[in-house]
Amino acid sequence: MKDYFLLQFTLITRSIKDLGINPFIGSLIYLAGFVGISSFLFYKTAFAGYAYILISLALTAKLSESNRINFLKLCFKDNDLKRIRIIENSIVSLPFLIVLVYNHQFIGAIFLLICSIVFVFSSFNTPVNWTIPTPFSKKPFEFIVGFRNTFFVYPMVYLLTFIAIAFDNFNLGIFSLLLIFFITLGFYLKPENDYLVWSFALTPKQFMLSKLKTGLVFASVLSFPILVALSIFYYEECGLIITFYLIGCLSLITIISAKYAAFPNEINFVEGFIILNCMSFPPLLLLLAPYFYFKATHTLQHYLV
Amino acid sequence: MIQVTALTKSYGSIQVLNNIHFTFLEGHVYGIVGENGAGKTTLFKCIAGIEKHEGEITSQYSPLKNYVGFLMTEPYLFSKITGKEYIQLLCNARGKKNDVEQKNIFDLPLNQYVSTYSTGMKKKLAITAILLQENNYFILDEPFNGVDIQSNIIITEIIHKLKELNKIVLISSHIFSTLNDTCDEIHLLEKGSITKSVKKEGFSELEAEMKKNLVGNKINQLELK
Repeated sequence: MKDYFLLQFTLITRSIKDLGINPFIGSLIYLAGFVGISSFLFYKTAFAGYAYILISLALTAKLSESNRINFLKLCFKDNDLKRIRIIENSIVSLPFLIVLVYNHQFIGAIFLLICSIVFVFSSFNTPVNWTIPTPFSKKPFEFIVGFRNTFFVYPMVYLLTFIAIAFDNFNLGIFSLLLIFFITLGFYLKPENDYLVWSFALTPKQFMLSKLKTGLVFASVLSFPILVALSIFYYEECGLIITFYLIGCLSLITIISAKYAAFPNEINFVEGFIILNCMSFPPLLLLLAPYFYFKATHTLQHYLV
Repeated sequence: MIQVTALTKSYGSIQVLNNIHFTFLEGHVYGIVGENGAGKTTLFKCIAGIEKHEGEITSQYSPLKNYVGFLMTEPYLFSKITGKEYIQLLCNARGKKNDVEQKNIFDLPLNQYVSTYSTGMKKKLAITAILLQENNYFILDEPFNGVDIQSNIIITEIIHKLKELNKIVLISSHIFSTLNDTCDEIHLLEKGSITKSVKKEGFSELEAEMKKNLVGNKINQLELK
């Protein structure tokens, strides 16, 4: 059992190292980020407690995935397996429990504690047999996979736009527009296998332009209802709406270019940090996007002719 | 024709392929055999242009990589993509349009996620995809592995058809009988070098020799009781 946790520790430190940062510093950054985001969310919204319970349950449910549990059953005796699952669920839930208790959300904390214990005795099958339809089937793969992973978010984002219009909160409407782009950025964080890049009978430049075009068109499809609704109800703010739409597009161009600039590796921590900072001051993206684009076309020469 | 001249590949100080020369002709099927780790997959990746290497690989179609259909030993598939979308992706990559449903000769559940597919189904999907790319050259790394016997028969017939269509096919397989049925020539790869090349008439002799060298006294060593 000790070996199992040592192995998990090694895997986690290895993944932090892969991001290009020292594991100790990475842990400190994670801790500071968690505390900072928690303080901000609980200060800003009354719904933060519910979000924390949901996130914690989603993470513990992931640990209860049936294939994983079946593998552990093969490796460990029943008692050891129970101990492992109790320790794992506790490690995952504890930070969320502490935040809930600190913010006096005792009922939520008790509910989370009970669920974490119940999950120790359960395993879940991942629902893989139902194919979620997507409007992006003609051009696989980023938006197909990304859309299916996040399909439940879009009705909520569109609802947010509706609330923004109903309660005359233009900023909330812009927030929902940027949220769509923020979600799509996540579709490009993981590099695909080099075989898939190699398969393309395109030059690096053609490949990049095709990826950028697909990304921009599909992100526009997802943000179209918000753009139209905001433009109708806030037509005097059309200039501002278009500006934020363009910022979203520019961020997407930057992240797609950064992905292939780092290919076949993931975008490392330093690059991610620079991109995030530039997003908070979008004019800098005008410099960063071309830099990553040219770096990407250079990197792709290894795979494409 | 594909001409391989002085192909050498090293990972750091470890040399995986050593000064390999080949001429692959249209309308021929070539088998590459060798133990695990002999360098078969690396050789295929070099020919396909996925791996950088020393030496030269030329063909009448340039760039060669755009005309190669490469079946990997373990096809790379996404978790939330359907079989149809996977084929669409690979066809888009080569600018080809196809009626995927009509050409689904392995009767795969194309509208299901590929993560629900068995090992054999994944292989059949990858084979279908590279066939629909309409390539001139085919590199098939273990095409018969994990596939049911009915599909093995279909794959053998597909290889015969590709030969008839004047394509170049390179195959690796650990099942000698499958190579016997499909290949015109077999090359033995040992520790990164081609140590023997035999035509069809020498296949049975090569198989017997490989058996003798590989198995030797190893079974007796187990002292099975």
